[in-house]
Amino acid sequence: MTITDVQYYVDGVLARNRRVLSKTITMIESSLPFHQNIARNVMERLLPYTGKSIRIGITGVPGAGKSTFIESFGMMLLKRGLEIAVLAVDPSSKKSGGSIMADKTRMERLSAESRAYIRPSPTGRTLGGVAQKTRESLLVCEAAGFDVVIVETVGVGQLETTVASMVDFFLVLMIPGAGDELQGIKRGILELADAIVINKADGDNVPRAHLARQEYETALHLVNPASANWSPPVLTCSALEERGIEKVWETILDHKRQLGATGELAAKRKDQSLEWTRFLINEGLQEWFYKNDQVSRKIPDIKGKIEAGLITPTQAAQDLLSVIMISGASDDALQREENEK
Amino acid sequence: MSKHSGKEQWKHLAERELKGNPVESLNREAPGGITLKALYTAEDIEQYECTNTLPGLPPYLRGPMATMYAGRPWTIRQYAGFSTARESNEFYRRSLATGQRGLSVAFDLPTHRGYDSDHPRVSGDVGKAGVAVDTVEDMNILFDKIPLNEISVSMTMNGAVLPILGGYIVAAEEQGVKHNELTGTIQNDILKEYLTRNTYIYPPLPSMRIVSDIIAFCADAMPRFNTVSISGYHMMEAGADIVLQTAFTLADGLEYVRTALKAGMDIDTFAPRLSFFFGIGMDFFMNVAMLRAARFLWHRLISRFNPKNARSSVLRTHCQTSGWSLTEQDPYNNIIRTTLECMSAVLGGTQSLHTNSFDEAVGLPTDFSARIARNTQLIVQEESQVCHAIDPLGGSYYIESLTMSIVEEAQKIIDEIEEMGGMAKAIESGMPKMRIEESAARKQARIDQGIETIVGVNKYKSGETPDFEIREVSDDVRVQQIVRLQEIRKTRDNKVVAKALENLTKAAERGGNLLQHTLPAVRARATVGEISDALEKVFGRYVATTLCISGVYASEYRDKEIIESLRRRSELFMEHEGRRPRILLTKMGQDGHDRGVKVVATALADMGFDVDISPMFQTPGEAAKMAVENDVHLVGVSSLAAGHKILIPGLLTELAQIGGEEIMVIAGGVIPPRDYRFLYDAGVSEIFGPGTSIINSANKILNLLEKQFMG
Repeated sequence: MTITDVQYYVDGVLARNRRVLSKTITMIESSLPFHQNIARNVMERLLPYTGKSIRIGITGVPGAGKSTFIESFGMMLLKRGLEIAVLAVDPSSKKSGGSIMADKTRMERLSAESRAYIRPSPTGRTLGGVAQKTRESLLVCEAAGFDVVIVETVGVGQLETTVASMVDFFLVLMIPGAGDELQGIKRGILELADAIVINKADGDNVPRAHLARQEYETALHLVNPASANWSPPVLTCSALEERGIEKVWETILDHKRQLGATGELAAKRKDQSLEWTRFLINEGLQEWFYKNDQVSRKIPDIKGKIEAGLITPTQAAQDLLSVIMISGASDDALQREENEK
Repeated sequence: MSKHSGKEQWKHLAERELKGNPVESLNREAPGGITLKALYTAEDIEQYECTNTLPGLPPYLRGPMATMYAGRPWTIRQYAGFSTARESNEFYRRSLATGQRGLSVAFDLPTHRGYDSDHPRVSGDVGKAGVAVDTVEDMNILFDKIPLNEISVSMTMNGAVLPILGGYIVAAEEQGVKHNELTGTIQNDILKEYLTRNTYIYPPLPSMRIVSDIIAFCADAMPRFNTVSISGYHMMEAGADIVLQTAFTLADGLEYVRTALKAGMDIDTFAPRLSFFFGIGMDFFMNVAMLRAARFLWHRLISRFNPKNARSSVLRTHCQTSGWSLTEQDPYNNIIRTTLECMSAVLGGTQSLHTNSFDEAVGLPTDFSARIARNTQLIVQEESQVCHAIDPLGGSYYIESLTMSIVEEAQKIIDEIEEMGGMAKAIESGMPKMRIEESAARKQARIDQGIETIVGVNKYKSGETPDFEIREVSDDVRVQQIVRLQEIRKTRDNKVVAKALENLTKAAERGGNLLQHTLPAVRARATVGEISDALEKVFGRYVATTLCISGVYASEYRDKEIIESLRRRSELFMEHEGRRPRILLTKMGQDGHDRGVKVVATALADMGFDVDISPMFQTPGEAAKMAVENDVHLVGVSSLAAGHKILIPGLLTELAQIGGEEIMVIAGGVIPPRDYRFLYDAGVSEIFGPGTSIINSANKILNLLEKQFMG
């Protein structure tokens, strides 16, 4: 069933064929090595066509109105003649492994628009899994020519850090509460934010939204800004009433102008690529390590010893790693080869 | 009274009959948190002061009227409407000639949602689940030769309530009937639309203003007309248990009262015209007790506002037997179910009643099935002799005790809602909808396991498929309506129409009674769609937020082995395909009944599927786009409003056009078996009729997937 012709995917994506774009993302997300291999080849050929979009990450606690915000925000961008892609990462149930993805029920107008592409993806049991692959899906959307690519995720676990590491602009969506906003929020997320937007500033909420805004402003002062050229602002908006949405877009454009002019944006993307490479190496090393015959043979024995209290975890790790060090003799061989060249 | 002297002896005997098990082993946990015992005695009700009260007097537990059916039996009011106004009119007149006492009009979904029959979004829905009405000209035909000063008319309309109530009033004017002669009911209960039925148009706030304007207009001009029919029926149909139905319905009622008070009205000018609408299910005694409990609670709740008029705190209600309890399998059983539910409503003291036709699990009633449904009531009313005694079950230890248990449990939920700031706020938080869906998922799991018996479905299956006529609405209806619309747009004075619509928009913007401002537009032959648009300009169109529950189905399902084996198959599929089975569940057309889809979604996710849910009211093109973008393996279409023969082939065509031809399409809901062939030929892979257990559906879906991808 699977189409194996790499060029089919490449041509389809570049021709902005939605069907092929969707299938490409499926290949990227697949857990089958055979699919991943196709995806890798496709990515390689698409790479020259990437880099032109504005990449935006959006996170927020459940109930912050992320989807409703994206609906209003996306419609506004379409009105400006832009084409947008939205990649939504939805947590799966740990128990059943299944998921319910209802993002589009809150993006009724946007999802019907021909110039918008929305792709929800389940995280699977490991939270990080699909989120990692989202980086590649983002690049595919870029190659397909979308002007803006939005990655949406729930603010839980490590997801937001991962998403922040693949976008130009990371937006944290908040809702006005009863004045105790800061208690529930992790300091870490403030450090990631390029802007905090307080949504649902409508009706009875308006005064509370302004109060929350002051509190976040104070809190942001206490955080070291990630960039010397950008201090993250705190904005208020009502996605429901479509107020304050334009201001968010202007802020993102400002950010692009300011960091673009200093070359910081380009540097940020390069850093992200290097970071991504390091991550992939770590992943690969881990996989290779645990697949090593000697290691996997030794693990039950070591495990038993730890449980029996015969060795310390430090010693256990050392023992396992030493397996690789010894078989690392082949590294010497590599070194010799290098020298002979 | 103290403990019954023979109680110990009884207990001893009972435990011997139970072979040593305690009598408590006979207790039953009823949905809604009520524990039912096997035996009730005087001691169970001695703490209640209200058991020995009188009908027609506070707290109205025994009935809203002093003489009840002994004085005048309940009104037999059958809900009907389909196709064109002409066809419905003929059906009404035949019904009135054969024993029906009042009309109850069902409108089609485009009308509910404020679209004209020629709107591109409604191609599959015109005239299907009710009568199509575009202008007052259709209303005139609908009520042709039906004197509106004599026959009371109930209209189920909530979204497009202004043009429809306006249309009824103007049709009466044109018959020469004065406003104050009109009797009947407009449902006008918008709050429950956000909970279950989804036939709203505008957001809650402006919608509540419309409700309040109608209450105000009628208090003045139509004093014999019921201005809101506060409905629990749809909640029950969506899966709410007795306690949830009671609590949410009364909480909705409270919200309307507060809204009217806030608009400056006096409680006694409008509260007597608020009526109720309850759904009656199969749990016989529980449903009797529900109506009694609701009357008691309403009196208690309204008394807080210190009404001077005694009628202000009286709950009068219409009831309908449960459509959800009807089965496609062994459909003649439905006549018996409806009879039992009819008895519950009557013993509970309803003021009017609709009994369902036995064929409603598969289609609209025919003249034949409608006659049987009507006769069910006539036989109970005139042959069974139940009308002579008022509240005949009053004083029963069991019924009185049940009544008070429902009062207590419902009051707890009402208090919870009050703490949230009332029903509008609670709805905003999503709480009531989640509770109903959770209750629905649990009920489904109990039925799928056979813990709740449904004869002919999960027990005593016959395997026979009786052949009976099913009413089919021709697709010509839409064409006929469009021709009429074009004719009217050509012959009316369009300047007058434009002016009237402009005034209506202004009233929406700046204030002024909206029903008052709707009437000139209706008189000028403005269409339902035009009037709705004039308001939408100011109010906007509401988009629902969908919250989903998870884990409920699996936790209620006791045979974990079955759930596990389905999960394993999902896992195996993933090992083979690189991802889980992925299904898009969608509802196309204007059919807003989303209970089925929600229950299936949560159950399939519990079995390890990745489930996408589409927004409501999709066109086939929109659903196809979503299926392709999300790259699902299959699309599941839920159809309950007879649009399947247009919308499902439409989806298949759209899928093929955008390269999604290998995406399988399956269908479920109310689809008559004789349409199966047509749908299979169009390319549908599997059809699930009403009553299919979800376990069974999941199994068949996995079979399909395994065959296509792993075979």
